[in-house]
Amino acid sequence: MMLTRWGRTLYHSGMTNARKLPFASAFLLLAASVPAFAHHSFGAEYDANKPITLTGVVTKVEWTNPHSFFYLDVKDASGKVSNWKLEGFPPNVLYRTGWKKDVTIKQGDEITVTGWHARDGADWGHSREVTFKDGKKLFFGPPAGTGDGGNTPSVAVPAK
Amino acid sequence: MPQSRNVLNFAAAVALIAVPLIVTGQGGGDAKGPVVKAASSKVPRASDGKPDLTGVWQGGSSRIGTWEEANAGGGTNATSGQVTPFAVRGAQEKAPYQPWAAQKVLDSFNRRGIDDPMARCLSPGVPRTTTMGLFPMQILQTPKTIVMLFEVFHVFRVIQIDAPHPDDLEASFMGDSVGHWEGDTLVVDVTGFNDKTWLAGTGTFHSDKLHVVEKFTRMDENTIAYEVTMEDPVVLTKPWVQRSTIMLRPGTRLREYECVENNTDLDRYEKLLQDESVFRRK
Repeated sequence: MMLTRWGRTLYHSGMTNARKLPFASAFLLLAASVPAFAHHSFGAEYDANKPITLTGVVTKVEWTNPHSFFYLDVKDASGKVSNWKLEGFPPNVLYRTGWKKDVTIKQGDEITVTGWHARDGADWGHSREVTFKDGKKLFFGPPAGTGDGGNTPSVAVPAK
Repeated sequence: MPQSRNVLNFAAAVALIAVPLIVTGQGGGDAKGPVVKAASSKVPRASDGKPDLTGVWQGGSSRIGTWEEANAGGGTNATSGQVTPFAVRGAQEKAPYQPWAAQKVLDSFNRRGIDDPMARCLSPGVPRTTTMGLFPMQILQTPKTIVMLFEVFHVFRVIQIDAPHPDDLEASFMGDSVGHWEGDTLVVDVTGFNDKTWLAGTGTFHSDKLHVVEKFTRMDENTIAYEVTMEDPVVLTKPWVQRSTIMLRPGTRLREYECVENNTDLDRYEKLLQDESVFRRK
């Protein structure tokens, strides 16, 4: 773990490597900077290691704060239909990313959405990119990892 | 080639002189390096000669352009496994928490920020409100008062210039802000906080002894250099300094964000918290 100057006095391990690898350290720091984009934690509710791609028919759209949702009827291989709930940006962000309420996405539209599955295994997902029938693509939600601390904590990890 | 190298050298020299706050790898640069250049266009001035901060801005970004231009292509699809956020803030030093407090921050990180006060629609505090990238902010400036309006949670800050803090402050989420000009830099002193917000990243809690000093320097038409110093003797070992840039977003207007309308997260959190192993790191 990369340690900073103050960290040296608190936690000793790792400093040598950090000194030897200034460029790597700078890169790590860049990679560590986590944008504050989310209203809530992605990682608590969704699993970034479980990407999903769903194609189906929109049954309902909730154009609401702090997050919008749409519901999708998805047919599996056996023909069984499940109604999925997909979470995304609030309306203000959707407007700025090219969406229009009641125009861009409506009940009955057939779409494909990529995203990540809920940790509890329910028919629930965090949406990312929606592809419309005409091939147009728009983001309905932020990338995985927003609001959950990303890959690196704000503090140095103490030596065990 | 020599000519272009000279141009680069000159630009680098000017950048070193004119952009003291923006240090490579520390300022508003993203993974491609600092985007902020030496002042290439005139800094807009108010009628009193001070730099005019009026406009709609995006914190936590270093990209020039309209909102749509600067935030286009903010990522790839889920299956690629790659993540390119809306904007990447510059590298920051690790938060200098006291060991007991660092452990608490780490615990929040390991619980993936499920305890984030913002998930309960509470005001994000300072500096978190300013550095948040997803929602725009608007600055209105007069010689005696500078007002900052934030789309997120309808938060506002009224900054009186050359005025003392009121002597009857009560602890609050956003604290009390007063400002003064040091040359072309607006320095804002913020105090009177409660202990219910986070400073920046996941779990970065603080006490009600938090004291924040912010420096806003308009570098050019597009850019405010933002330096914030956080002091909290209860949880930090020393002042924590972060630097980033705030970018002008021409044509953007503030919209509404009514957080409590349909906040389903809390119910879901309640269920998840019955068994933290479902979401906890390691």
